[in-house]
Amino acid sequence: MSFAVEAEELVKVFGNIRALDGLSFQVKAGEIYGLIGPNGAGKTTALRIISTLLLPTSGLVKIFGHDVVREASEVRKLISYLPEEAGAYKNLSGYEYLQFMGKFNSEGRDHLKAMVENASKISGLGDRLKDRVKTYSKGMKRRLLVARALMNKPKLAVLDEPTSGLDVLHAYHVRGIIKQYVKEYGVAVLLSSHNMLEVEHLCDRVALVNKGRIVAEGTPTELKVKHKAANLEEVFAEVAGLV
Amino acid sequence: MFEGLRNIVTKEVREMIRDPRILLGIILAPLLIFPLMGTTIRISTEAVQESIKTLSVAVVDLDKGATAQNLTDFLESSPNVTVVTIDAQNIDEIAAAVQNSNVTAVIIIPENFSQNITNGERGDLRVYGVFREGGIAEAVTFSTVQSLLESFKQSLIYATVQSKFPDNPDVVLDPVNVSQRTIVKGKPVDVNPSVLFTFAQAQFFGLPLALFMLIILAMQLAATSVASEKEEKTLETLMSLPLSRFTMLLGKLAGSTIVAAIGAVATIVGVIYYMGSLTFGAPTPQPPIDLGVSGLSSSLLGYAILGMSVFVSLLCALALAVVVSVFAEDVRGAQSLLGFVYTPLLIPMFVLMFADIQTLPLGLRIFLLALPFTHPMLAARAIYTGDYTMPILGIVYVTAFTLVVLYIAARIFTTEKILTMRLRLRRQKVKREE
Repeated sequence: MSFAVEAEELVKVFGNIRALDGLSFQVKAGEIYGLIGPNGAGKTTALRIISTLLLPTSGLVKIFGHDVVREASEVRKLISYLPEEAGAYKNLSGYEYLQFMGKFNSEGRDHLKAMVENASKISGLGDRLKDRVKTYSKGMKRRLLVARALMNKPKLAVLDEPTSGLDVLHAYHVRGIIKQYVKEYGVAVLLSSHNMLEVEHLCDRVALVNKGRIVAEGTPTELKVKHKAANLEEVFAEVAGLV
Repeated sequence: MFEGLRNIVTKEVREMIRDPRILLGIILAPLLIFPLMGTTIRISTEAVQESIKTLSVAVVDLDKGATAQNLTDFLESSPNVTVVTIDAQNIDEIAAAVQNSNVTAVIIIPENFSQNITNGERGDLRVYGVFREGGIAEAVTFSTVQSLLESFKQSLIYATVQSKFPDNPDVVLDPVNVSQRTIVKGKPVDVNPSVLFTFAQAQFFGLPLALFMLIILAMQLAATSVASEKEEKTLETLMSLPLSRFTMLLGKLAGSTIVAAIGAVATIVGVIYYMGSLTFGAPTPQPPIDLGVSGLSSSLLGYAILGMSVFVSLLCALALAVVVSVFAEDVRGAQSLLGFVYTPLLIPMFVLMFADIQTLPLGLRIFLLALPFTHPMLAARAIYTGDYTMPILGIVYVTAFTLVVLYIAARIFTTEKILTMRLRLRRQKVKREE
């Protein structure tokens, strides 16, 4: 079986800091997999390596069988990455931004048009897409970016804190869209989040990450049962030795 | 690759043109500031000219002789000059009388002035300029008084010479006729060398300035283009797209070049208007030089070589700016870092505005030739001299230099350094804070 993501003994060192310390996990096709953990746990570094932005110090990552180091250009055709602190070009309108980004994945004019229409629905921004991005609120910008990440129906969506900065309603909307994409188009999703309750409701499987290593992995239900916890927050507190 | 490149270039140009900092600072400001400067200077010039029209000179004639009277008559007959006669004897009284008037200068003709001139001795004149605010108008009107007195002196000399040599006073005053011609490219041509030198200096002065502006603009834009991707947090998304990093780099360089060219055109239009404003009221311009007669006519090949030289230098500047901006976290940081690059790279090229490279000491010559921005200036001179060896070698050198810088820029773009360099700076910042 070809996994959407196969990470083996992933290590990343920045100077004296060991950001990843032997991280290993697999994400199946059509699965929503969550990396959860506190700030500095190594989640973003792992997502950046998977998105071909950083090189691993050691270890191996394959995306649908393609090595992220040796076959980076192939990997980039399969993934769509949404960074946590991503911005959009403030002097372009929402439409122009989507068209600019869409052109890199489009197979022609009609395909591009369909992608932008799709993004318009996902973002729910309506006519505000005609306005320049600099006039958007933080939440509107995040909705535009989520729409950009999903509009081309990538084989793997790598979403770093996808609902960061969104209010309850829009976060709910985005979670619904992610679930719908997995169901309708078989998109695999690898996401990271601080919000463990959100992850519990969204992810098929989760990995709890602490100090660059996975300290627990499984479905939210499995983890809760195994650790006799009411939610993932309590599971994390136990496996991280906080209680 | 072409579609991706076009997409990036379109986005870059659109983003930059819509950025108020760039639109105002690089395109609109030159179109407004230079004409505004020109208009201000023109208004000042007009005010000065107006003040010359009402030139007032006080004459204190203590001599009462014929030559003194001639001087007064000469001044009175000069256009736009009003002569005020003052009877006061004491300079303190005279000074007090003129300070609050509109008199520009006081000319005191002492006793025996006419007698001395008639006897072939030197006559003394005392001239007091009236200083009020020290403005340009005061300076210009006083220099007009000096010119009038010089003309009067010349008329006295002419009269003396004419009395002794009534047949040919002009020949006595100017006994040698100097005819000036130029040798260009080993051939004599019928053009005054001063005219050619003035023309050449104007050419050599204008191009470095235009080139300097273009390079500075382009470097700022390229650095801004990369640094704003970091500042606005768009770089990571862009780098995860199915687009070659080299295409991304080329797109940024091309976008910056296009906007820099628009900025350069705006600057040139502004400067032309400014220069046009400055020539107001100036003497009749010289007729254009026929370069065909002088043997210095430029060829199409010369312009092609100059264009190529400017292009590779510009590309080199852009690549350098991209490399520098990688070390910055934001646009302001990138602009500050560029400041360190401008001085060593660009300032030395101004040496060539004042000195011929062949006349410089060997060490300085090698240093200048090692700088990529020296070569377009040498190419500009070659247009008129027709010696293209040095400019062609320069193009080869600058191309090689640019390829090395582009390689470094491409390496930075293709590796994680473009992200980790910022990360390292951040971590150092955190450490310092700790």
